[in-house]
Amino acid sequence: MDILHNLAFGFEHALTMQNIMFCAIGCMVGTLVGLLPGLGPLATISLLLPLTFSIPTTGALIMLAGIYYGAQYGDSVSAITMKIPHASSIVACIDGYQMTLNGKTGLALFTAGVSSFIGGTVAIVVLAALAPALGEVALLFGPADYTALMLFGFVCVSFVTTGSLIDGLAMCMVGVLLGQIGTDVNSGVQRYTLGLPFLYDGVSLVSVALGCFGIAEITKNLDGHIERSPFMGEIKLMPTWPEFKRIIPSALRGSLVGSFLGIMPGGGPVIAQFAAYAIDKKVSKYKHEIGHGAIEGVAGQAAADEAAARTSFIPLMSIGIPENAVMALMMGAFIIKGIQPGPNMISAHPELFWGLVASMWIGNCFLLFLNVPMVRYLLSIFKIPYKVLFPAILFFCCIGTYSVNGSLNDVAVTASFGLMGYIFLRLSLDPAPLMLGFILGPMLEENFRRSLLLSRGSFTVFVTRPIAGTLIALIGLFVLWSFFVFVREMRAGRLARAEEGAAAAALEEG
Amino acid sequence: MNHRDRLKGIFLIAIALAFGLGALNYSIGKVERAGPGFFPLLVSSILFVLGVAMVVRAQFTKRVPAEFNVKNIAIIMSSLAAFALLSAYANMILGIIALVFVSAFAGQDYSVRRNLTISAVLIGIAFAFKLGLDLQLPLY
Repeated sequence: MDILHNLAFGFEHALTMQNIMFCAIGCMVGTLVGLLPGLGPLATISLLLPLTFSIPTTGALIMLAGIYYGAQYGDSVSAITMKIPHASSIVACIDGYQMTLNGKTGLALFTAGVSSFIGGTVAIVVLAALAPALGEVALLFGPADYTALMLFGFVCVSFVTTGSLIDGLAMCMVGVLLGQIGTDVNSGVQRYTLGLPFLYDGVSLVSVALGCFGIAEITKNLDGHIERSPFMGEIKLMPTWPEFKRIIPSALRGSLVGSFLGIMPGGGPVIAQFAAYAIDKKVSKYKHEIGHGAIEGVAGQAAADEAAARTSFIPLMSIGIPENAVMALMMGAFIIKGIQPGPNMISAHPELFWGLVASMWIGNCFLLFLNVPMVRYLLSIFKIPYKVLFPAILFFCCIGTYSVNGSLNDVAVTASFGLMGYIFLRLSLDPAPLMLGFILGPMLEENFRRSLLLSRGSFTVFVTRPIAGTLIALIGLFVLWSFFVFVREMRAGRLARAEEGAAAAALEEG
Repeated sequence: MNHRDRLKGIFLIAIALAFGLGALNYSIGKVERAGPGFFPLLVSSILFVLGVAMVVRAQFTKRVPAEFNVKNIAIIMSSLAAFALLSAYANMILGIIALVFVSAFAGQDYSVRRNLTISAVLIGIAFAFKLGLDLQLPLY
């Protein structure tokens, strides 16, 4: 009954006129920006982060969360109608776009909307039940355990987002190093400030995010000369009853998979979608249709996407460690608002925590309305060509950076991060782990130095404590495994090349 | 020589060296009482090792050249510089106009008329932010 009581308390705070409005604005803006080409949730949140500075704390966080899961919804709409995959809706392109080709766009959009609603609802129950319990576990964590947990997060994120452990870890380390810029809290020494006074407080989170995800992405899109043709087809939304019945089991499966994978370190919407799709392909009654535009192929992944987007708040709010780059950005937003997410957040700011949880369900209703009956109006945003859009996005990057400190130096800093991010993108290095490293860097140093201080300089503390030891062992396993996979792939590659060579030689002879 | 996987490693090694050598300027301290230079030195050493590992790995992977379109990134960077300089020495309205007109060179075609419309709309949005959201923008 505790949960019900807490949720009722949350709704009390989320259902004020003001917070409902912030939630609606967040969902609306998130969906619209999510629809736009080339702006993932990371860029969206960082673009809109500065605009929330003047809003009260609870409202600001409700709005940012709305932007995040709204962008997830918007993503799947553009994936279904135009096969434009964003970072987080690759799976929706498979069956969703196939359904569009079969002339069933409306059904696909309806399925995605309803499944997302189901996924979001299930995830909120999980969130409300699990987060406080996990928060109590987190109180057992010492500095060494936190250090190990952050390293474990780096490894998982690197593995999931980039597919290559070395690349991802390197990006995390670059992020940690960038987080070192500024005044060292322990000694007061200014590190890497190049003698520039505006760097004494460090590089602002908004600058890093807008540089790496805003400016770098824009430039990359300009290089590619993408022009989209807007969707012009018919949309017939209401499904028949047998069609509707097919949505439910698949969506429920997806919700559970998504809720679970959303909590895992390195997890989140993307991996949850793939998992839900794979499971539907194995167990669904209509598995022979999946891949050719089946309802199940859309429902499962949409539910998982939405569920994971919400449960990924659990590690952030109960342990205080974000599990992926988007959550790292959210954590930055919490800190800017003066709230330290972690085990103490739920007890110290219950109205914020439960209000946020409750607002997610309210947001769910807004999104269902926005994405099912209103979807055809939303799609008109695609009629804006990119050549009009990109100067506007640049403008938002500039205004956003400027308004953090009211300083044009920050615009210069953002521009340099844009250049750096562009080089990273061109070298096919994904900047998402960098964001995680940048946010966690100062915490990592703090906990690392504290654990060594407590252990009098002995590194064994990272192995002998049960929590830290387990995590370090898991990291070791990951590293060994990815090395093994690399060697095996190289062998296979070399064999294949040798065979090709032999075949070519045989052809020449013949 | 243009081998993306190798360039990747070299770029990261360069970052590691920049931060690692910088860390030597600060006191390193002892393990149990680390100075401000200890942690950055440790992290850049890890990054250095990872960079070397990438260069080594590049020996085994297929060569994919990295593509750089210097023109577009240069245009975007100059548009941002124009915005910052004009906003600092004149006002932000001019900065916004400069941002739009310079960055538009990176688009497929160039139209003064379109740029004027975009600038006008963006200036309108800036005013809305200033008045509605209380952002302190030095617009004029």
